[in-house]
Amino acid sequence: MHPEIARIRDLLEVGGYIADRTIATSVYLSTELRKPLLIEGAAGVGKTEVAKVMARALQADLIRLQCYEGLDATTALYEWNYQKQLLHIRISEGNNRPLDEREAEIFGQPFLLKRPLLDAITRAQPPVLLVDEIDRADEEFEAFLLEVLSDFQVTIPEIGTISATAVPYVVLTSNRTRELGDALRRRCLYLWIDYPTFEKEIEIVRRKVPTISAHLAEQIGAFMQMVRRIRLEKTPGVAETLDWSAALLALHRDHLDRDAVLETLGALFKHHDDAAAVRSQWLGLLLDGIAALEERGEPWSHEAVAEAAERLPVRP
Amino acid sequence: MEPRSRGRGGGAVARSPVRPARRGDLISNLVGFCRLLRGRGLGVGPAEAADALRALAAVDLLDRHETYLALRAVLASGPDAQAIFDAAFWEFWRFPESAAPAETGRAEELPPIDGAEALQRVLREWGEGAGGDEERERAPAYSPAEVLTRKEFGSFSADELDEISAVLAAIARRVATRVSRRMRHARRGRVLDIRRTLRRSLRRGGEMTELLLRERRVQKTRIVLLCDVSGSMDLYSRFLIQFIYSLQHVMGRVDTYVFSTGLSRITGALRRDDLRAALDEVSRQVPDWSGGTKIGRSVQSFLDEHGARSLSGRTVVIIISDGWDTGDADLLAAAMRELRRRADRVIWLNPLLASPGYEPICQGMRVALPYVDVFAPAHNLESLRRLERYLAG
Repeated sequence: MHPEIARIRDLLEVGGYIADRTIATSVYLSTELRKPLLIEGAAGVGKTEVAKVMARALQADLIRLQCYEGLDATTALYEWNYQKQLLHIRISEGNNRPLDEREAEIFGQPFLLKRPLLDAITRAQPPVLLVDEIDRADEEFEAFLLEVLSDFQVTIPEIGTISATAVPYVVLTSNRTRELGDALRRRCLYLWIDYPTFEKEIEIVRRKVPTISAHLAEQIGAFMQMVRRIRLEKTPGVAETLDWSAALLALHRDHLDRDAVLETLGALFKHHDDAAAVRSQWLGLLLDGIAALEERGEPWSHEAVAEAAERLPVRP
Repeated sequence: MEPRSRGRGGGAVARSPVRPARRGDLISNLVGFCRLLRGRGLGVGPAEAADALRALAAVDLLDRHETYLALRAVLASGPDAQAIFDAAFWEFWRFPESAAPAETGRAEELPPIDGAEALQRVLREWGEGAGGDEERERAPAYSPAEVLTRKEFGSFSADELDEISAVLAAIARRVATRVSRRMRHARRGRVLDIRRTLRRSLRRGGEMTELLLRERRVQKTRIVLLCDVSGSMDLYSRFLIQFIYSLQHVMGRVDTYVFSTGLSRITGALRRDDLRAALDEVSRQVPDWSGGTKIGRSVQSFLDEHGARSLSGRTVVIIISDGWDTGDADLLAAAMRELRRRADRVIWLNPLLASPGYEPICQGMRVALPYVDVFAPAHNLESLRRLERYLAG
């Protein structure tokens, strides 16, 4: 393994993120080839965390641009500090300098508010720019972003063109609520993050909730593998697993049973329909699956859990 | 031409561990691999190949898994692409089964390669193999399970077509405009545009004499049409396809599918200028015209295969069906619920709704109704004309 990849993997581990080599390799290549890294995967698999680790690995600042519907170029780039401009106009009311000069003054750098994109390209040290949930912004914004990512320069009508002092490292995440354009994809390295495997998830639980018993962690891990096979509005991710583990622990539960799950359902399912469906339809079957695993006696393996999950009567 | 045969005797890379004996071999093999991927539909060109070469120079070539991960990150830009990549990778770089990663002695690493240099090398190789492997790939797959029935389409009179088009144009305009969350400046807006106001005030020495306003921009809605062409809809299908054809021509952003037991996308076929030619092409393209109906399965396969691309908070989904479903009711309910959640509005047009005494009691319709925003008849021109009212909201 390339030493740098190993180092990034270790950093991912320290961040509580039990990394596989896929993530470490992608992060490394993105920094090495200086290409943006596009990360896709379901909500709650830890996509954003990867950007944080990249920043830590490079000892760089992290600048985050959260996308939302209606986000436009101006909001992402810069804004003028209107209050300051107004005050300045009032203060300089008495003097009779020419209009051009006064205008140039209030549209100068001191009155410019840098928003994430402009901020990212005007630092002395290249930062990591995280463009979070790019799929929530619209196509127009995507095209604009592509332009910035190609040239690393922006034009502000009042000031002129600002070129990047240092080209930032870029991470984009998407929950795939809409398909991104090919042009953007081709500009990026691609990383798909899936839900963790049984073993990996247990390890995450143990590390993040160290006081949990080994047995409960296993039960939780198996439960999650099974639950993710059910078609739900919002499939619970790793964050939900951890919330749930903490909730169970707070209620002094040391194993999963009907009451324990019912009391803590809210930590796991963030959608009313999902909670209702699990309560009325799936809970018995899920607990049966856990019971079947208990009966086997042997240490729970990925295969055994997968087998139990297979038995759930879910439609393909 | 087999891509591997370009590798001058198999090429050193095909052995494990990945060891470039001569640099030329690695590059020509890499280019061959990229051309194979391109032949299988991935968007891989010389620029991507050059990045792949740079990636190889940056990782440990002795490490097969790492090499694989690096090439995949550069060359496969989506989950589907990754699946294609996986198959192609193990096919192309044939590693001996037994080869264990060599622990001793690192392979001679490629010296760092910069972008321009990599592109130059790749381009040199890329031209040589041109015109070979692309065509080799992908024979069209047909499912023998689908009943292939070709339908003859009749034609409406020219007058009727004109009238349909006129009505549809009016409907489509109403549907097509919706208020966006983005602002633009406007003379009679409702929100103060402080940026422009200040700018204007400078002309008067900083005195604000007029307020400039902005308003929300009207933005195009996307429409997805799912049209039932199963046996029970036979009477209406012909008419409805014309409806869809007109709608698609009035509005740019209509994505059209027909379904009975399975789903087919016919947007491309309907794009033709000539209605008759378009209808011919549709009837040729759709394998199971007038089979049974599996609405749930069809809607689900729309969600799975096309949902990410065509659904958003701005998408209006129009389903045209009588709701006679021979499939699984639970599946239909789940699919409709997901559809409702991912689209802006779901409109169900039912040709039977106008029949006296019709109640939506058939199972499919009853299951689907809770997830439908507008439920309206669509059996003749008159009903379509009235439809405008429902769509305007």
